[in-house]
Amino acid sequence: MSYKPDEGTLIAYLYGELEGSAKERVERYLADSEEARRELEALKEVRGIMGLVRDKEVIAPPLVIDSRARFFNLSSPLVRAVLAIAASLVILMVAGKLTGVQISASENEIRLTFGQPRSSAPDATPSLGVADVHDIIDARLADNNAALQSEWRKSQEAFANTMRETLKESSSRIDQLVMKAASASEKQISAYVSTLQAENLRMIKDHYKMTSEEQKQQLEQLLVDFAKYLQQQREDDLMILQARLNDLQQNTDMYRQETEQILASLISNASVPVIRN
Amino acid sequence: MHAETLQDIAMMHSDALLQRAAQGDQNAQGKLVQLWYKRIYNFGFKFFLDHDLAMEVAQKTFISMCRNLPSLQDLGKFKAWLYKIAMNYCREEIRRRQTNRSTPFDRVWNVESEQSPRWEMSRNRHDDPDRQFQRNEVADILHAALMAINEDQRAVVIMKEYEGLKFREIAEVLNISENTVKSRMYYGLESLKRILEKQNINKDTINYEL
Repeated sequence: MSYKPDEGTLIAYLYGELEGSAKERVERYLADSEEARRELEALKEVRGIMGLVRDKEVIAPPLVIDSRARFFNLSSPLVRAVLAIAASLVILMVAGKLTGVQISASENEIRLTFGQPRSSAPDATPSLGVADVHDIIDARLADNNAALQSEWRKSQEAFANTMRETLKESSSRIDQLVMKAASASEKQISAYVSTLQAENLRMIKDHYKMTSEEQKQQLEQLLVDFAKYLQQQREDDLMILQARLNDLQQNTDMYRQETEQILASLISNASVPVIRN
Repeated sequence: MHAETLQDIAMMHSDALLQRAAQGDQNAQGKLVQLWYKRIYNFGFKFFLDHDLAMEVAQKTFISMCRNLPSLQDLGKFKAWLYKIAMNYCREEIRRRQTNRSTPFDRVWNVESEQSPRWEMSRNRHDDPDRQFQRNEVADILHAALMAINEDQRAVVIMKEYEGLKFREIAEVLNISENTVKSRMYYGLESLKRILEKQNINKDTINYEL
């Protein structure tokens, strides 16, 4: 068998999308080929198994689509900018109307006024000359100076008077105070000194009494100690003397024994006649 | 696609609806969304095995559909066109997921465990545990098998096997030749077969009644 359908043809056959002669050829091929039949069966089985996957139920959410093209899009930045400028202009105009702002430009000035502009009428009185002004100023200055000087003199006098009085008063008061203070302090000092002397005296007496007693006690103690010491010394000396005497005794005893022995030996030697030469 | 439910029948006879929707009738567009939402959602769900991503893809797809339907020339190609939009959003999601380094909680958690948020969300937890376990297990294994094959093959397999598109339509959606679609389908099925064999799943071990 020379004809062998390719995968695409086989798949098309499997899904029934093959017609006419192509379909017949595949069918003839399948009838001949056991292997091809088995392969197709396997694919069919896969399809069957995969077909077990069921669709999930789902509810379509409502879709509201506004298909009208928007000529005037409020959210576009340009439109928003223009609207913002227009709104601020309107606000400015309303505010201007309410406050009655008037702007007028004439010759060399621009005038910004709130409410009706006041027409400033020029003064009708004749103006003063420079000399007049000088005179007036001078006269006023002279008056002022005179008044100031008299005032100053008066106040100076008054000040001097009050100063004098206060000085007098204060000096007398200070004298009194000093006198009082001096007399008071003399008495106090004498009293203080006398109390101090009495206290000192008492303290010194006490001190002497205490120290003499202490000295007496110490002296007594010293005497007792010395006596004790002497006694001890004497006892020690006596003991030494005793020991010496004992030694002497022992020594004399020893000497005596020795002499006795010597005597005895001499005696024994003398009893035996010795003939020499 | 086999007409199994009323919705499927309605889907097959939606030419008039499509026309009105293409003319900008919002009511018709809304009905179209209701008709196709489940399909697109399930396409996304099988592709990502993730409810949120599937919802996102479906919503974006239908927003785009309503915007661009008037510019669709050939209403006969509506289905392929719709899946093409969905596919593009799926690819966008994949790209985003590749650049995004964060990992959602339900991926960190063990999905099977009861602490998993997905378990909390699932309605199944009140069912009979034995039956639920069996059903979940099979569905999970099959889903996992689907996720295991590569993305190109997966897209083809889902569109062919579950969405019932013709090879010609799939070729249009993916912008590739029909032959490439068929061979991807073939290799996709082969890979699935190998995976299922490895897990020892065949028609005898699986209870078809599930």
